[in-house]
Amino acid sequence: MSKMIQFTIDGRQVTAAKGESILQVARREEIYIPTMCYLAKTSPSASCRMCVVEAEGVDGFVLSCNTPPTEGIAITSDSQALYTERQNIMKMYNVNHPLQCGVCDKSGECDLQNKTLDFDLDDQSFAVADQRRESKVWGVLSYDPHLCIMCEKCTSVCNEVVGSEALFIRPGGYKSEIDNTFSKCIQCGECISVCPVGAMASTDFEYTSNVWELEKVPSACAHCSSACNLTYEKKHTSIATLGDEHIYRVTNEYDHDTLCGAGRFGYDYENRVTQKDEDAFAIAVSAFENADTIRFNSMISNEEALLLQRLKEQFGYRLINKEAKKYQEFMDAFTSVSGNSLYSADLETIRKSDYAITIGSAVSTDNPMVRFALSVAVNRRKAYMAYMHPIEDEMLRNLVTQYVKYEVGSEEGVLAMLCEMIVDEKAKESHKAFFDDLDLGYISGESNFGEEELELLKKKLVRRYDPVLIIGADLINHPNAVNIAKMAGMIEKHSAFSVMIIPPETNSLGVSLICDLDSEEGENTVGYNVAADFVLSALGDGDLDMPALSQQEGTLTNIDKRVVPMNAALAYHGYELNDIANALGVKSDHVIDYTAELPQERGFSTVRFDDLPNHYTNVGEEVRGYYLDVVETEASATVDVISDIREFNGSVIYRCDPLMQFNPFTDKAHQIIDEAFLSGSEQFAVAARIKDGERVRFTVGEDVYERVFKVDERLKGTVALNPSFDSSENYESYRYNQVKIERV
Amino acid sequence: MSFEKFKDRNVGEDGYYMVDIEDYPETGWGKFKQVASRSLKGELFVGLWVVLREMFKFDIHTVQYPKEKLPIGPRYRAVHKMLRLFESGTERCIGCGLCEKICISDCIRMDTKYDENSRKEVTEYSINLGRCIFCGYCAEVCPELAIVHGGRYENASEQRAHFVEFEDMLTPIDALKAGQQEEYPGFGAIIPGSDKSVKKTPLAY
Repeated sequence: MSKMIQFTIDGRQVTAAKGESILQVARREEIYIPTMCYLAKTSPSASCRMCVVEAEGVDGFVLSCNTPPTEGIAITSDSQALYTERQNIMKMYNVNHPLQCGVCDKSGECDLQNKTLDFDLDDQSFAVADQRRESKVWGVLSYDPHLCIMCEKCTSVCNEVVGSEALFIRPGGYKSEIDNTFSKCIQCGECISVCPVGAMASTDFEYTSNVWELEKVPSACAHCSSACNLTYEKKHTSIATLGDEHIYRVTNEYDHDTLCGAGRFGYDYENRVTQKDEDAFAIAVSAFENADTIRFNSMISNEEALLLQRLKEQFGYRLINKEAKKYQEFMDAFTSVSGNSLYSADLETIRKSDYAITIGSAVSTDNPMVRFALSVAVNRRKAYMAYMHPIEDEMLRNLVTQYVKYEVGSEEGVLAMLCEMIVDEKAKESHKAFFDDLDLGYISGESNFGEEELELLKKKLVRRYDPVLIIGADLINHPNAVNIAKMAGMIEKHSAFSVMIIPPETNSLGVSLICDLDSEEGENTVGYNVAADFVLSALGDGDLDMPALSQQEGTLTNIDKRVVPMNAALAYHGYELNDIANALGVKSDHVIDYTAELPQERGFSTVRFDDLPNHYTNVGEEVRGYYLDVVETEASATVDVISDIREFNGSVIYRCDPLMQFNPFTDKAHQIIDEAFLSGSEQFAVAARIKDGERVRFTVGEDVYERVFKVDERLKGTVALNPSFDSSENYESYRYNQVKIERV
Repeated sequence: MSFEKFKDRNVGEDGYYMVDIEDYPETGWGKFKQVASRSLKGELFVGLWVVLREMFKFDIHTVQYPKEKLPIGPRYRAVHKMLRLFESGTERCIGCGLCEKICISDCIRMDTKYDENSRKEVTEYSINLGRCIFCGYCAEVCPELAIVHGGRYENASEQRAHFVEFEDMLTPIDALKAGQQEEYPGFGAIIPGSDKSVKKTPLAY
């Protein structure tokens, strides 16, 4: 048990846990100590010296941000000497700072402005000869070195949290400035959010609005299953269009939380509908009356998913959501062995882990928050990170300690080898048939996952206390997914590992818990954001318009197994799903009335939507919505013996979206511009006998794709990436496909 | 100090005298006599004569509005003006948005953008004069002395919108070149020509 340290700040008795700094304790106790460079989510860079405090019996000042308290010490957070010291620091920060607050984007929420006023500095008695410095534009971010105060928040967040190490300091005394290795930059905009002054700015937002004019709507991001906390900031579009609002930018609780580029820049996907289309609505209602199947995807709130479930209960619709169905089956199989309805890990577990294995997920693009969490684990806890995937990811090069490149299709075997390494003796007894049949030599040969690689993984696991296994969509969509899930369940139950099964889409987890999904389609289909005979679409291309997720109230169930609230950022004047349900006879005033009715037997709670909290505490504790309860069941099933590994030869393509793209909604956002290319390595181009820039045709399942082929120098190996963000269809099939590529 | 002086209510002794007011006539004959004497005395024409005399003098002090207007004080707050920089002729407004923020009747709005010279450019600016209460906060808060109140107080037009165009408020460039833009003297400035109108107060003390 760790010892608690008792000490006093300003005469107040406080307690610190082991490893806590004086500043952290002060913030927890709501004692104000000013800082300039301190960022709660990174380790202290201790460059500003604003956080100095006096400690009894210690000569000089003590930096509170990186000094742990000792037993019984008396700390003074404010005195005349400290005030003068901090005033002097602020004078240094203000040297030659341009007096352009009038036009600066940061004015009104600027740390420098606030503290300059706070410390009563109304004149500056010294200056230095100014230098000519060039402003730079790096895609979504713009950098103005004149405004930069060199607090290093951006570089530390880029290195430690994002893990891309793109931003760095170009040293030169007074001439120092920040620079960007643009090829490494993943355009997440974290540097913009943490910049205390206007130096790092959003290229798109720059000079379009004063921050105090914007109305803030706290909500949750709807692009991937992390459903991160974010705040939409909106205002009237222009003088010319009063009453018509749009979102100017997205901000977040940057001191504690992280947001990826899609969340930060992919906000304008709303469906602008000015009035109710009564004719289309009447057709929609009759389409529902005639239909026997509702197809939908996981870009849906928990409430609407429950609404669909109610419609099913009342009218016997078949609910088709292929991807969520696959996830549901995976989770059921997982539960049958692990005994828990949910996986145990969340993002915080990953951040605090010291050993992480990711298998079957292109985490950089599938779920950026998992990548950021891994980055924190690697940088802060020096975690050992193994990335098991057939394609090496150049973007993860700074983070990965061991790449395990297995053959496409051999996931089941690879996980079986991991089981052999990880699980305890008890498991080997209860799943005897499986282990007896296991032929490591065969698997190793077929999968290309060498036994010496396994040995290395095993060796590095010694004296690691918080290991975590992250399972991605390659495994969930695998032909033998059920047995893979059972293996994952075994690892969860019989090892020190915490397991995370990344929900592939925004609300896959919620839908899989709420809806009773079918696998066979009927004849007459209605689609909600998915192609069908009659389509309700939030993209504005269907038969009846629906509000996009940024225009809806509701909750999402995220990767942390947390039910988080979303608020409507923009008005929507058309019909929504609830109107159709009301017309059909499933009555409810608002769709959020269903929040309290979410199924308790699946772990949901009866909290009403309006009572869901959505904030962070002073120490960064996330208070958003509620956690799902884990339902314990009997762990009865056993893992089956693994099947033979299928070989994938020839041209193999992998369903994988580019960075920041997740779905047609991110595609619609004006700041995220990507064309859907088939991208592959030089090696792939040679093998498939196609050239860069050529138009090619290939067939995956029933879908025929025609795409331009691009050579991506960052890619290696013989697998090409085929994006799916331009389609709202959801997929249950294995992400790898052997295809025949022909030139058009 | 004693209160005796205040307590002495015998006011009749300190140079006060009673006004000689005739008693109201009580009889019908008495009333007739009063009317007849007031009518025939010609008191009515004393006033009419003053008007007639001034009319023939041709020295009328009445301002012939709207042909003639009195100079208005710089502190007067009529329809806003947007000034230009004297040297370069560019607009003074930097789009800081302080007027928009401070406006208590919420009638100022502006659109800004990042222009090709990396400056903040005001693309649209409007004041809803139907809501404006002419409090002058916008002019007071303006850090660039860009928005000021002009002297144009005649607000009659077919549409209120006629007053709110940024271009209408902005000093025309040719007017600026002709030196017609005057610097706003600021708050507390005196009315032009007010020196001349200062006169000795016509009181003896």
